[in-house]
Amino acid sequence: MGDVIEVLGLRKEYRRFRHGRIVAVDGLDLAVPEGGVFGFLGPNGAGKTTTIRCLLGLVRPSAGGCRLLGADAPGGLSSVIGRIGSIVETPELYPRFSGRRNLELLGAIAGVGRPRVLEVLERVGLGERGDDLVKTYSLGMRQRLGIGAALLKDPEVLILDEPANGLDPAGIVEVRELLRSLGQEGRTVFVSSHILYEVQQTADRVAILAAGRAVAAGPVNEVLRAGRAEGLLVRVEDLHAGLRALAEAGIAAAADDGLLRVEHPATGAAAVTKALADRGLYLSELRADEADLETVFLELTRGAGEASP
Amino acid sequence: MSRLLRVEFRRFAARRLVRITTLFALGGIAFGTFIAYTNHFRLVSMPDVPLGTAFPLVVIGWLLGASFIGAEWHAGTVTTLLTWEPRRVRVVLAKAIVGIVAVFALTLALQVVLTAFLALAASLNGSTTGAEGWLTETGAVAVRVSLLAALAGAIGFAFAAVGRNTAAALGVGFAYVVVVENLVRGLRPEWSRWLFGENAGLFLLGPSNDFPYLERSQLGAGIYLTLLSAILVGAATLVFRTRDVN
Repeated sequence: MGDVIEVLGLRKEYRRFRHGRIVAVDGLDLAVPEGGVFGFLGPNGAGKTTTIRCLLGLVRPSAGGCRLLGADAPGGLSSVIGRIGSIVETPELYPRFSGRRNLELLGAIAGVGRPRVLEVLERVGLGERGDDLVKTYSLGMRQRLGIGAALLKDPEVLILDEPANGLDPAGIVEVRELLRSLGQEGRTVFVSSHILYEVQQTADRVAILAAGRAVAAGPVNEVLRAGRAEGLLVRVEDLHAGLRALAEAGIAAAADDGLLRVEHPATGAAAVTKALADRGLYLSELRADEADLETVFLELTRGAGEASP
Repeated sequence: MSRLLRVEFRRFAARRLVRITTLFALGGIAFGTFIAYTNHFRLVSMPDVPLGTAFPLVVIGWLLGASFIGAEWHAGTVTTLLTWEPRRVRVVLAKAIVGIVAVFALTLALQVVLTAFLALAASLNGSTTGAEGWLTETGAVAVRVSLLAALAGAIGFAFAAVGRNTAAALGVGFAYVVVVENLVRGLRPEWSRWLFGENAGLFLLGPSNDFPYLERSQLGAGIYLTLLSAILVGAATLVFRTRDVN
């Protein structure tokens, strides 16, 4: 099977009284292959939630379209909705019903019975609080319940909008482990998030959205490599002497926060070491300057105008 | 669709507003029974009782119908529901059907309880003479009152579905009854044949000099009110089908 989520030239404009037209998503193309965790990143207002709402048929695109499991959204969604679990922003459930009752009501729409509800409550850590009213739940517990609702149908595809919102550090780790295990089970987990470290730890592939457009997409390692040149970080006692020595050896470098950043593949560490040693400079630290998703994200989204939600 | 209907019935029955309203109504029934008992209630006047309950029951119907979808909009649970059943027409029609049927059943059940208690009061400390046929006559009026409450619920539902909250529907209802109907009666009395109030009165009471501009029958008034409700629910369904849910 090919891509389970396809977004083709998606554009969504909102007309707001006094604010005119606001473009939330501006010609987005996206393809999410089957299996694994796909991180959908972007600053606030980049259009992540609007894209997810379009995928789930909650808002109608102004142009372009989306396909989920081969079905057009929203027209064909009903044929595949049983294979899709989702949460959109903070999952809204009936506050005066218990967590269990909420899941039972939702499950009844899809023919999911009580045993599965109890199983899911256990899986998201709400087994002992399942009979409490949702209005007594913390934000993190509501988030877990929302994830539980998304899991009820045992779905092939999970679309989760900021699932770690409101969770404490332990909860974030649990969600990370849960997403990983779901991805390893062969499901496709499409997760939007602004917690970049978590996405880097969890996702196999990412797309970075800015001002309603994808500015990078692909396997995490490729996006990291494309976002920042490979380099080495070198610590020497005399930075200026070190810079001169490297320049004389034809190696481009720059001082960076008390270190020398050498734009050189990590495999060229020997040449750097030799250039410095030949001039009597001995390094006290040498390591690869590994780009992280946060740095790449900030570089890619810098200057991108903010769109509306 | 049947699963959706079952879920909506369960949700309607579990609503706090439904329970509170029912409790208040039962309290009113207990109080009314006490008054009837102490005033030597006569069974022959029983058919007038449902007419007396018509206004509060229609208001209750409007409120329950409007809040059934209004509360969903307010809580944001419409989004959650649509991620489980994306066929919006089914979603809104299931809610409308359940709202209408449940309001009819609830208001009819309340009238049955009231009638039973008043009959008991009449037999214990009142009069049952000359009341032949009271049950049939009372039943017919009670069914018409419940039908009217259900239609009011449908109209309240339609306004709340479009306005996205209960207050919008209540506001529209209040403005219509207080302003529009009175303006029409005062300025264009011949148009009053199209008013909800006039047709509701005719449907409940039958032909009367109180409705000089209504040339239709009691059944005709019921059909007109049903058509009006159906058109409003249909319009709300079309709006719900195409609108963005944010």
